[in-house]
Amino acid sequence: MRIERRLRQPRWLLVAVPAGSLVFAFFASGLVLLATGHDALRSYRQIFDAAFLNSGALGQTLTQATPLAFTGLAAAAAFRMRLFNIGAEGQLFMGAVTADAAGLYLGGHGWPHALVIAAMVVAGCAGGAAWALIPGVLRAFFKTNEIITSLMLNYVAAYVMTYLIFNTESYWRQTTGFNASVFPTSKTLPNAAWWPAANIFPLGGGIAILAAVLIWFLYTRTRFGFEAQVLGDSPRAARYAGIRTRRKILAVMAISGAVAGVGGASQVGDFSHQLDADPNGLQKQYYGYTGIVVAALARYNPLAVVVVAFLIGALQNAGNTLQGADFPSGLVGVMQGIILFSALGGELLVRYRVRVGRALPAPEAA
Amino acid sequence: MRGIVKHFPGVLANDHVDFEAAVGEVHALLGENGAGKSTLSNILTGLYRPDSGEILLDGEHVQFSSPRDALDVGIFMVHQHFRLVETFTVAENVVLGDHRGEGRTFRLRTRAIERRVAELSKRFGLAVDPRAPVWHLSLGEQQRVEILKALYREARILILDEPTAVLTPQEAEVLFTTLREMAADGRTVIFISHKLHEVKAVADRVTVLRGGRSIARVDAADATLRSLAALMVGREIESGRAARDRVAGEPVLELANVWADGDRGDAAIRGASLIVRRGEIVAVAGVAGNGQRELAEAVAGMRPATRGTIRIAGKTVRGGDPRSAIAAGVAYVPEDRLGTGVAPSLSIASNLALKGYRDRHASHGPLLRLRRMRERAAELIAHYRIAGAAPSSAARLLSGGNLQKVVLAREFSGKPRVLVAASPTRGLDVGAIETVHAYLREAAADGVGVLLISEDLDEILMLADRIVVMYEGAIAGETTRDDADVEEIGLLMAGGRDPRAD
Amino acid sequence: MNNSLLVVVLASGVAYGTPLLYASLGEVLAERSGVLNLGVEGMMLVGAVMGFWAVQRVHAATGVSLALAIGVAAIAGIAMAAIHAFLVITLRASQIVSGLALTIFAGAAGLSSYLGNDLNLADNPARHHFDAIFPSSMQHWSIVGPILFGQSLLVYASWICVVAVSLYLSRTRPGLNVRAVGEAPASADAMGINVTRYRYGHTLAGGAFAGVAGATFTLSITPQWTSGITGGAGWIAIALVIFAFWRPALCLVGAYFFGALQALSPQLQAREIHLGPTELWTNSLPYVMTVVVLVFVSASGARRRLGAPASLGLPYVREER
Repeated sequence: MRIERRLRQPRWLLVAVPAGSLVFAFFASGLVLLATGHDALRSYRQIFDAAFLNSGALGQTLTQATPLAFTGLAAAAAFRMRLFNIGAEGQLFMGAVTADAAGLYLGGHGWPHALVIAAMVVAGCAGGAAWALIPGVLRAFFKTNEIITSLMLNYVAAYVMTYLIFNTESYWRQTTGFNASVFPTSKTLPNAAWWPAANIFPLGGGIAILAAVLIWFLYTRTRFGFEAQVLGDSPRAARYAGIRTRRKILAVMAISGAVAGVGGASQVGDFSHQLDADPNGLQKQYYGYTGIVVAALARYNPLAVVVVAFLIGALQNAGNTLQGADFPSGLVGVMQGIILFSALGGELLVRYRVRVGRALPAPEAA
Repeated sequence: MRGIVKHFPGVLANDHVDFEAAVGEVHALLGENGAGKSTLSNILTGLYRPDSGEILLDGEHVQFSSPRDALDVGIFMVHQHFRLVETFTVAENVVLGDHRGEGRTFRLRTRAIERRVAELSKRFGLAVDPRAPVWHLSLGEQQRVEILKALYREARILILDEPTAVLTPQEAEVLFTTLREMAADGRTVIFISHKLHEVKAVADRVTVLRGGRSIARVDAADATLRSLAALMVGREIESGRAARDRVAGEPVLELANVWADGDRGDAAIRGASLIVRRGEIVAVAGVAGNGQRELAEAVAGMRPATRGTIRIAGKTVRGGDPRSAIAAGVAYVPEDRLGTGVAPSLSIASNLALKGYRDRHASHGPLLRLRRMRERAAELIAHYRIAGAAPSSAARLLSGGNLQKVVLAREFSGKPRVLVAASPTRGLDVGAIETVHAYLREAAADGVGVLLISEDLDEILMLADRIVVMYEGAIAGETTRDDADVEEIGLLMAGGRDPRAD
Repeated sequence: MNNSLLVVVLASGVAYGTPLLYASLGEVLAERSGVLNLGVEGMMLVGAVMGFWAVQRVHAATGVSLALAIGVAAIAGIAMAAIHAFLVITLRASQIVSGLALTIFAGAAGLSSYLGNDLNLADNPARHHFDAIFPSSMQHWSIVGPILFGQSLLVYASWICVVAVSLYLSRTRPGLNVRAVGEAPASADAMGINVTRYRYGHTLAGGAFAGVAGATFTLSITPQWTSGITGGAGWIAIALVIFAFWRPALCLVGAYFFGALQALSPQLQAREIHLGPTELWTNSLPYVMTVVVLVFVSASGARRRLGAPASLGLPYVREER
């Protein structure tokens, strides 16, 4: 078997390969199910129902998909430029913290609904961006690899969030009332800070779509995007071209963190209406890491991220709903893993051509 | 080697090539860049597999499925880019991958290995410290490590790929002596080069490759430089210096006592002072590693000057800031085309706009005018005849010559005042080389001040109005084209010292 | 004396640090060959569940049962690592994405839970588990008793592994070869070293170590199985490798340091010592320290001596033109 780099990438391949790998993934997951004594078709049917058809399912799918869209965009925005921001998880937490504070304060002081929401979004941006700038600065000025630094900060962010509710009498913590004296709880947001939804479609979902379009536009149609592309491809060529490398790194990390931060704001404003600092709550959802999977499957295209986030959100929802004696737990993770493996393997076919055997190919026209 | 065929995506590198070499001879493989020499030798050393053809060693068929097989039968190659592990010591590098006899041991007997390396090094006059980490060594010393690797393995066939690229003319002489000694010792030395006078100096026989085919095999004694050149290129080439009637204008690039640090933290440029005038081609000669690359980078703003000033058209330019240099009118054709001069995965059109995207015709404030960029790219592609791929395909797919055309097209179209060209013709075939030379002359005729950095003295003698020699970061001497004396330049390149005194 | 906070924390630190040590040793081997494997958490979880399964299902004497369980855990880890190895070495996929995919596939929401629940492994204690092997009298010696002699066989075996891996890398020929593969695969290839084989071998070895690390939880520390029992230890192990400058001996120091910090929190709670904001620091300390170490290495230019293998994260292709 020989592997040669392709000279041209035919258009049809870019669609056929992802589609093909998806089909392969379902097939492979089905085999895993069969091998362990489950009815594959029945399990798939259950998943589909739990994701879309059951009463309330679609709403729950959107609940899962919204944060994934944000973290997926955050990952795509950074990974496209070869900045491996693994810290969307922590940036989402910090965005939740800052947005919650804004919501509590402004909502409690009688600001109009729309302004409170806007302030929460801005606060979420700020919190996430600031957290992302830590690995960003380290990378820009000290050339420190951002993979590990952003990863480590996820843990620190989780501890900060938990600490604010469980270990201190902070602004975020509810100190009065019967429940609060028994177990540490966060303050609930005032109504003015609750984000509206269009039927079942949360405001966060709309913001995510808007963000996707903006990021797509930024990367494909502006000078900023051009420079980011060059920098992602070859840092030396970027410097050669007079691109201010450090500023670019900081800017992209900030954008990536800001998007994840808005995801955190959405968590607070759309869904939990308080700061979910329980170690078994938001921290076990792993939105940040799943967002990377979403971005990878979407090949880092912001518009595709939204679509993929919806599908993966559906899968996550099904997994959560179906947990119980009747349904193999962990199946969702297995399926997601297999889908991702297939997509990764399929990438090879897009970039390279595989030749089997000793056939002598005719020389190609130079 | 009989009937060797090898092709890569888009190019037929070896087209039924025949090659043979005998025990005890130095056999040169001559050909211009792109003729297929490296491919052939990589096949011989097991790095590539031929699509068809056969290899016979002592009359027996052999097949190599990996470099290990070739090493096992005693074939060793010293590549142009050394295959060393920089963080390892000399001894560790020499012994790496060796699995005969001593090499079969699981345990690494470092002391014993270092002793053996020291022995070999003394016997063959290749002075180097076995315990030194390789990244400490100069390129010439690193080459010695590579040769020691061959000797340690008792290689019967030693192949060297363009070994003199990193040596002064005098060091090259020493190398040739070593090679002749090794051949006399019963080994076979295959010497790959595109430099005619070297081939004539060291080889017993010469095989000439052209366009992927083996053209001729001659005795070096019977051939002349002209006959070899004709075989290599397939036509008569004009040698000698072209007449010039340019008049140089006012200074457009001035370096005054510039100092700058290299990648390892030590000073790579030590007090260099230099002037380039409008319409003049000033060439910097020197062995690689004496600060030329750093000098080019300093002028282009990619390396900050720690002391001294750089002035473009009379105005001092801020060091270490490529954007200021570009704004001041400095165009830079870097040595490393693919790594620095282009963004390899981006389209050709994008690369053509790599420096000009900020201009008014390419962007409207923060927004790009994509259509305008595409049109401009098409214009440049047509004018400079860049071929081999569509404007929207990735730059990395282009051949070396076309890639260089992209870089030149982009740099010239910016209407620069100063053009810095670092080894612009490295790795190009003769047609591309002539094109590049023509562009450089054209630029000078247009009033651009050209700073040419090259390791090829022939090229320098052909193009330059003034020649400057760099040694250990400083300007060691200067001369004009008419007064140039190759021997003296060679001595200056070596610091005026005899390398045999090492 | 032996009940003092310090001694208890150190003794627990060694115990908690042992899975970190195994996992980081494995990751050192993989990374030295140039392969970054972010799937350590997933591999550990699968090793944990499969090792537990073996000990529950096999009816044999304690020693045999446990030995078999460790073997099964190692094989499980190898199987997971094989997926990653195939994707990134043969198919040249992105090492980061593949490692993350492995964690998701095998992790707490994936294969390990799938297997654990399907095989009904929850809620039962292990039939056999690794206990302290030195006599109780020795365990009561002042200070060193609990710390050095109160540990299980897995701990002592891990010390042997540290020495073995350390000697392997620095004093043996294959060790030299793998370091070459990690630093300069093109040079290693040209010198006849099979880059692919070394990368596969060391990635799979990393998987074996990770599997055993996971089994340490279910067969020694807890010893029970629940979903996600490793609690993020795999990620700490990855950080630990950097913290230890890719050197096995420093992995030991780092693992016990991190382990001690982990042991600190519950001990403080048990003794009703509240440090207020300091608790945030002690929890975050391992992670912050790793960042500091990383910055130091990159900024000081000590990269060559102390830094990552140069080809880490990059696929190696021989025939590229």
